Amino acid sequence: MGIACGVAAAVGMAVSAQTALSSFTQAVEFLKGRATHSMERPAGPMDENILKKLMKDSTIEAFSPVIDRRIALRDGETVRLLGMDPFLDRAIRPELVRSRFDLSFLLDERSVLLDSKLATQLGLRPGDSLETSRGTLRVVATFPNPSSEPIILMDIAHAQRLFGLPGQLDRVDLIITDESVFRSRWAVGFRIQSSHQRRATLSDMLRAFRLNLQALSLLALFVGVFLVYNTAMFAVVSRRKDAGILRSLGANRREIIFAFLAEILLLGSLGGALGGIIGYFLSRFLTALMAGTISNLYFFLQPTAPDWSWGVLLLSILLGCAASFLGGFFPLAELVRVDPGQALQGRTASRRIKKSAWKAAFTGLGILGASLVILNTSDIQVYVGFASSFGLLIGASLLTGLTLIALGPGLKWTLRRLSGFPGKVAAGNIRQNLGRTAVAVAAFMVALSMSVGLGSMIGSFRQSLIWWMNTQLQADLFIGKISEMEVPESFYEEIKSTPGLGGIDTYRNVQIVYQETPIYVSAVDASVLQKYTSFGWLKGGNENWEPVKKGAAIVSESFYRRFGVQAGDQITLNGVHGPAQLKVAAVFYDYTSEHGVVMMDRSTYLKIFSDHTINSLGIFVDAENPHSQQLLDEIKRKARSRNLPVSTRDQLRGNILNVFDTTFAVTRSMRVMAIVVAFFGIAGALLTLFMERQREFGIYRALGFSTRQVAGMTLMEGLGMGLVSFLLSIGVGTALAWILIRVINLRSFNWTIFYYPAWEPYLLAVATAILASLGAAAYPIWKVYRTYPQMQIREE
Amino acid sequence: MKPLIRVVDLWKQYEKDGQDSLPALQGTNLEVAAGEIVALYGKSGSGKTTMLNLLAGLDRPTKGRVEIEGQDLEALGEEGRTRLRRERLGFIFQFFNLLPTLTAFENVFLSVELAGKPNPEVAQKALWAVGLKGKEGRFPHELSGGEQQRVAIARAIAKEPAIILADEPTGNLDTRTGDQVLELLTGRCREFGTTLIMATHSRLTCRFTDRMLRMVDGIVIEENS
Repeated sequence: MGIACGVAAAVGMAVSAQTALSSFTQAVEFLKGRATHSMERPAGPMDENILKKLMKDSTIEAFSPVIDRRIALRDGETVRLLGMDPFLDRAIRPELVRSRFDLSFLLDERSVLLDSKLATQLGLRPGDSLETSRGTLRVVATFPNPSSEPIILMDIAHAQRLFGLPGQLDRVDLIITDESVFRSRWAVGFRIQSSHQRRATLSDMLRAFRLNLQALSLLALFVGVFLVYNTAMFAVVSRRKDAGILRSLGANRREIIFAFLAEILLLGSLGGALGGIIGYFLSRFLTALMAGTISNLYFFLQPTAPDWSWGVLLLSILLGCAASFLGGFFPLAELVRVDPGQALQGRTASRRIKKSAWKAAFTGLGILGASLVILNTSDIQVYVGFASSFGLLIGASLLTGLTLIALGPGLKWTLRRLSGFPGKVAAGNIRQNLGRTAVAVAAFMVALSMSVGLGSMIGSFRQSLIWWMNTQLQADLFIGKISEMEVPESFYEEIKSTPGLGGIDTYRNVQIVYQETPIYVSAVDASVLQKYTSFGWLKGGNENWEPVKKGAAIVSESFYRRFGVQAGDQITLNGVHGPAQLKVAAVFYDYTSEHGVVMMDRSTYLKIFSDHTINSLGIFVDAENPHSQQLLDEIKRKARSRNLPVSTRDQLRGNILNVFDTTFAVTRSMRVMAIVVAFFGIAGALLTLFMERQREFGIYRALGFSTRQVAGMTLMEGLGMGLVSFLLSIGVGTALAWILIRVINLRSFNWTIFYYPAWEPYLLAVATAILASLGAAAYPIWKVYRTYPQMQIREE
Repeated sequence: MKPLIRVVDLWKQYEKDGQDSLPALQGTNLEVAAGEIVALYGKSGSGKTTMLNLLAGLDRPTKGRVEIEGQDLEALGEEGRTRLRRERLGFIFQFFNLLPTLTAFENVFLSVELAGKPNPEVAQKALWAVGLKGKEGRFPHELSGGEQQRVAIARAIAKEPAIILADEPTGNLDTRTGDQVLELLTGRCREFGTTLIMATHSRLTCRFTDRMLRMVDGIVIEENS
């Protein structure tokens, strides 16, 4: 069971990560179709008159104009809606256009094609109505969609009307025969991306997420392997006497090795196979969580649960065998070295155990030292940060033996205080069975440290996010929703003139490509933000807005770290009139996007991109205004009359925190998995100790230990191990949190998370330690109550 | 004078594969006075260990009664029997049965601590009394067979029990060492008036005892003083 749990954790995490990420790749490929390139404005939609010119371009074999937007369904999920010309798109995406539809698709401006998976999910059939944030749409037909991204198709003209884009397109997908000639004709004012570049850009968006998924998978593997190691080691150590008997009967070392190895590998195979099956089901659950994170942060994905694969089973068996072999290797090597006579003694105390503990501790300190040195290197890669984290965990694990020896007196005092004589004996048992207890404590310590570290990191991130929202999101009302809705300029004009209003921030956020990398450009009203917000600046204060009002830009910390751009530098963005140079005025803390944000005044944005789109409006009312509430209510009423979503400051912040909490669902699951895995480690250790000491229990009974005392002793052994694990995890978990915050997050996402120490992760860890160790002792205690009253030593 | 140990019509039958096998004890009767040193002599399988386990309350009879210091063991319940073993009985095994991960001192001290007398001096004196001064810190596997049995004796006598039950205490020792151990054990018991019942398959052991009870097929069939 121990092996199965360890393998399940590693496999579950790896398979779900693979599924979620490959779903994304599938979605990209499906939408690309046969297009070799795409053409769009650097930011914002483009005039459809471009099509007339494209028709005359000899390097174009085929093209299809596209409206590519998001629309919210009634349940709040946003889905991609593609507006396309079914005739022109035939050459680009023949699979899509093969769908059967009638003329109503072209004639009825509310008719759509729904992908079959989405239709099934919503319980819709051709002829049914689909309720959306932009009104009711009619489902004309369904089409097969092998990718995991739900798609709605609409005739492009109807889509233009639906999204208020008369005469405009988002992009044109093309099949080009001569790229260099085409680029030379259309370079200025357009962004031309090959399909490969587009895929790379989209893939890059998930870079940090993918990296962290890999790390979580490795961490799951580490904890899983630890548990398998634990289990296999017990299998060998508890059979020491059997090996002595075999040797005394004449079996040679090779035969002993073969016998034990066969047993270990058999256990590893069976455990691995079971773990593979459990891991597969676990992966289905985790895939849904990961999809939720990708959908919240990047784009909506509904990956199908991973299919069962015999390859997964094979890999699980191999993992179980490899980890079991690793676990059994050292005790097996020691076993065959020892004389038969010594082995026949079975479990004995060894004066070498203290020496071994010191040796392991020195090795552990060496690994910790190396990890520390690496971390202090000024310019380290994120992989090195991950390696240091593992180094920290491995190094600390090697210190558990010596820690148990050092904490022995304190543990004895504590357990004695808790339960008297049995507690004292329990403390002695933990100390005396270091070969088993140290490994179990190490495994549990790793799990608790992960819980503390991840919990502290998430907590600090959350607090940093709250701080950031307090600096940037200061408007009294927010109108519009960036992901799927735009605010008509006419509405902005309408409320701009409302008397008593403090200021309106016209916010535009659009993804562009900078040095082959996706980044975001934000357009704001610099004067309004200067007056009403207090951005978190890396240097300086609100005086940084002055140059922005005159045409400079400010960049987010992610942008600064990613591209090495600082205040005073120049950056070049590809605008609609060609390259545009901008001076960077300052750098600000930001968590909008890990890819980097370049923020400028709306006037500057309009000059460069000629894009009048407004994603949202931030409404500011002076606090001294006695009619502020009435004013805000009036604006809300006007917005709602235009079907524009409205959020108060608290509502928006709450939504952001909800997204944040959902994002870390995978990480939280990882914490739970690690605890479950380590629980089995402690349970395994207690059960093995119980089974190995059957004869000793007979002695206890003859000496006059009551059943309750022996049960109490077993309980205290579990609790003692749990407490030591917790104590170690305080230091290790805090160090892990520091690495996650200061190194890994910084290098993965290029933003600073401020460390906010909190009690909650530690309180959760101590509660987990106590409950898990009590739970782990439950079965051995039950066995005690069942078997102890009948135990006797019979030597006739 | 009332006997310290009284056994009346004691039967013990074990089940094998759901069926009754030959009884290990068949209607045994026995009385032992305080301070007596008794040998329970018989071949292997004659029921000696079964008898000792029943006297110690480690097992329960199929039929019959065991009284220790006037108390019916069955009526005491498991808790009472445990308390009896803890405070009033000492047990010595053929194969010593010391706790392997405790030193000689710790093995003895465990016994006195359990009896509610957590005085390290008591344990130390017991070890010195059996001739193991200077070896308190050794683990069982670092002691010879004779030394291990001495530790077992120290463990039994340290709590000053009323009764010591010894199951083949010299069974695992050579003759010379065995004699030394028996001299030590019986001498100590006589000194402190401790009742000693020794199960043995060797007639030579009986030299050290006041009475010999012979067991054959679960029945005490004769006694010799």
